[in-house]
Amino acid sequence: MKRDKKIPRLAKKLVELSKDAQGVVTEAKVGEVLAGLKQVEHRNPLGTLKAYLNYLRREVALQTAVVSTPGSLSPEALKEISAKYTALYGRPVAAELKTDPSLIAGVRVRVGDDVYDASVAGRLQRLADNVH
Amino acid sequence: MDFIFLAATNPASGEFAREFGFNPALILAQALNFLIVAFLLYRFAIKPIAATLDERQQKIADGLQYAGEMKTQLAEAERERAEKIKQAAIDAQKILTEAREQSKEMIEHKTQEAAAQAEAIIRKASEATELERQKMLSDVRQEVARLVVATSSKVLSRELSDAEKSSFSESAAKELAGAGG
Repeated sequence: MKRDKKIPRLAKKLVELSKDAQGVVTEAKVGEVLAGLKQVEHRNPLGTLKAYLNYLRREVALQTAVVSTPGSLSPEALKEISAKYTALYGRPVAAELKTDPSLIAGVRVRVGDDVYDASVAGRLQRLADNVH
Repeated sequence: MDFIFLAATNPASGEFAREFGFNPALILAQALNFLIVAFLLYRFAIKPIAATLDERQQKIADGLQYAGEMKTQLAEAERERAEKIKQAAIDAQKILTEAREQSKEMIEHKTQEAAAQAEAIIRKASEATELERQKMLSDVRQEVARLVVATSSKVLSRELSDAEKSSFSESAAKELAGAGG
């Protein structure tokens, strides 16, 4: 089956429309985009929606720093992490806390496909890898 | 003939001739007959017979000459045959000697080849054994590292208090926030 090249282009444009003035994907903006899609007749609505969802997830992942830690973390630390990666990537990055007991201690931050590991489990694994 | 003429003309001789039955005319006729017969014999008998005898004699001479030539050729052929046999024996001996030498060279070459192959096999086996040993050591190191990490993880999980873990997490967060990348 021939892939329609217009669908990915359209999906990317829809993701851009889903961002607010600060460039953050918001629920309200996504709602507006979906309402607009309902009114327009499209050749392949299911394909368009799937592509839109995939690009949206990717964009949300890029705008979120998932901070994994075995215990709790102070809000100040989360703010510092958010500010740090917003400056680093040049786009708004919100920090989100996630509990992961396997880390033993420390934190692991994931932004999109980038992982920053400062956990005890990560250090032990790197030690084990260096032994090889 | 003078005797006959004389006897014919002499009267004394007439009685002599009558006494012994000598008749000149008859003798002449007989002589003539003899000559005719002799001529005829010579022409139709003696001459052909002589020719036949000559021809036969020639044939015999030719035959003898031919036999002589054949004998000579046979001797020559025998001589050549003996010479060829001698040469063939020399060539055969030469071929045999060469074959022996080649065989000897081939045996030596094959022996060296086999030795080289054996050496290569031994070397490959040694290399394979060494690789196997290295792999085994690597596997052991990995397993030891895994066990150390697992043990350390368990010990740290149990030994570190919640406060210590939180403190470590805060420090790590500050470290990430402050780091260049």
